[in-house]
Amino acid sequence: MSPTGLSTEALAAYADASAAVLGLPIAPEHRPGVLQYLALAARLAEAVHAVDVSAHDESAMVFRPVSPEHPAPEAVAAPLWHQSGANT
Amino acid sequence: MNTHGASSAEAQALLGSAFDMAQAVRSGALRATDLVQASLARVAATDGAINAFTDLTTEQALADAARIDAALAAGEPSVRELPLLGVPFAVKNLFDVAGLTTLAGAKIEREQPPKARDALLVQRLKAAGAVLVGALNMDEYAYGFTTENSHEGPCHNPHDTTRIAGGSSGGSAAAVAAGQVPVSLGSDTNGSIRVPASLCGVFGLKPTFGRLPRSGTYPFVSSLDHLGPFARSTRDLALTYDALQTPVGTAQVDPEADAALDPGWARRAPEPTSASLRLGSAGLRIATLGGYFEQHASAEARTAVAHVARALGVQTSVELPLVEAGRAAAFLISNATGGALHLDDLRRRAQDFEPLSRDRFIAGALLPAAWVERAQRVRLRYARAVAEVLMHHDVLLAPATPCSATAIGQEHFELGGQRLLVRPSMGLLTQPISCIGLPVCAVPVWLPGAALPIGVQVIAAPWREDLVLRVAAELERLGAVHAPVAA
Repeated sequence: MSPTGLSTEALAAYADASAAVLGLPIAPEHRPGVLQYLALAARLAEAVHAVDVSAHDESAMVFRPVSPEHPAPEAVAAPLWHQSGANT
Repeated sequence: MNTHGASSAEAQALLGSAFDMAQAVRSGALRATDLVQASLARVAATDGAINAFTDLTTEQALADAARIDAALAAGEPSVRELPLLGVPFAVKNLFDVAGLTTLAGAKIEREQPPKARDALLVQRLKAAGAVLVGALNMDEYAYGFTTENSHEGPCHNPHDTTRIAGGSSGGSAAAVAAGQVPVSLGSDTNGSIRVPASLCGVFGLKPTFGRLPRSGTYPFVSSLDHLGPFARSTRDLALTYDALQTPVGTAQVDPEADAALDPGWARRAPEPTSASLRLGSAGLRIATLGGYFEQHASAEARTAVAHVARALGVQTSVELPLVEAGRAAAFLISNATGGALHLDDLRRRAQDFEPLSRDRFIAGALLPAAWVERAQRVRLRYARAVAEVLMHHDVLLAPATPCSATAIGQEHFELGGQRLLVRPSMGLLTQPISCIGLPVCAVPVWLPGAALPIGVQVIAAPWREDLVLRVAAELERLGAVHAPVAA
């Protein structure tokens, strides 16, 4: 879904519907501010959607499995410049 | 005697460098207790006007200092060589401190019990000989760039107390600029070290994402949160950063085990930087960032970059591909993650949140998942595009903030004919860099005749903190940047 062209009314309707789904009451005095920031986020979402990504563009979020013996993620290998002592 | 009644040797030493303080304690010229008392006295004299501190750890600090002095008197060689021997420091109040409730700037968190032990990085600085004197003011839950905290009161810029200190680590930058402590710790998700460093005129280091473990700190956006130090010189900054990388503990007690639970920690071996500071900038391929970074900068911010570039003899300018999309991605990810993190409290007690950021948190909780998922994919695409730029450039220079410190309470500022909200927009120039985890040193520039400082970001490829600190040190040596204690 591209957010391009969302009207103020459409954003307000979305805010009310999604807040209801989340069980998140929005007090009348908070609503103008919420809508202002939702509009800002929608404008920025346009910039994100303007980038043409394919199915092979992966997410920056990567899950690392947790094994029972080593509850910590695996160490990341040091890059070559460090191994060769280039950090001088 | 200066304006705050500091005439003693320890009060004068407190306004100098952490390196010299440690030397003075090592040589016996000063005791750790003298420095800690001087720090506490300066906080007492100045913090009514600055409001950097939210808690003092007076009793523990004096006990820690006395223990250092006793160990030195007993001739313990391992203590004598500690790099930050007797140096007072303070931390943003999202770091756990034993005996204190971790506030993260929030009234809601005041109900939580005190922490049993210090955050890992606090433990590491203490193991290096530094003495914690207190916790520092910040934007609630780190979501802001101004430290106008409605619960604690705003943090004031030490160079002009009518103006903001920047945020969200405002107290951390202000305490260093005010000479209350020589070094401090903060966090940076979208600019929260670099923005207050710029506005308060101090050095700030945001290391590479994943470099320092975050265990024992209150999170904001797990995939973007970084921790790092502030100081008034590159030598102190590197000294502190090197100590922050150094693991602590014994075979019996291993506080480092907690670090492994931080999913963002890259588990790299320490790569100390202090020895590289003297290498200068010769041979490095340095460029200024044009395009977006010029368009979103005021004349003074652009002049500050030109000033730094001239000092280094830099004439090349490059643009980052996809930078607008990268900044947008960071905003959406932060907004949604922050909103989701606090959803339960937003449902139950929205009235207890900071009024200046509550509506932004609520909006964040409502963002469509598809926007956020797209943002994470665009983020990786952007990181790869910038990596290609970094194949041809070792260091990049950009303004740290669009302008110098705005007035406390100011809602908007003008930029290129546009009226922008101060609180979410002061990070316009830092956000695209932390989004992809690059290391940055914010360096303080005082333009001729300027009443306020403004910072420049010195940026390098991932894991090359040594390069950003080298270039920052060279700029300091050339006299192009400096961080005076506020008068």
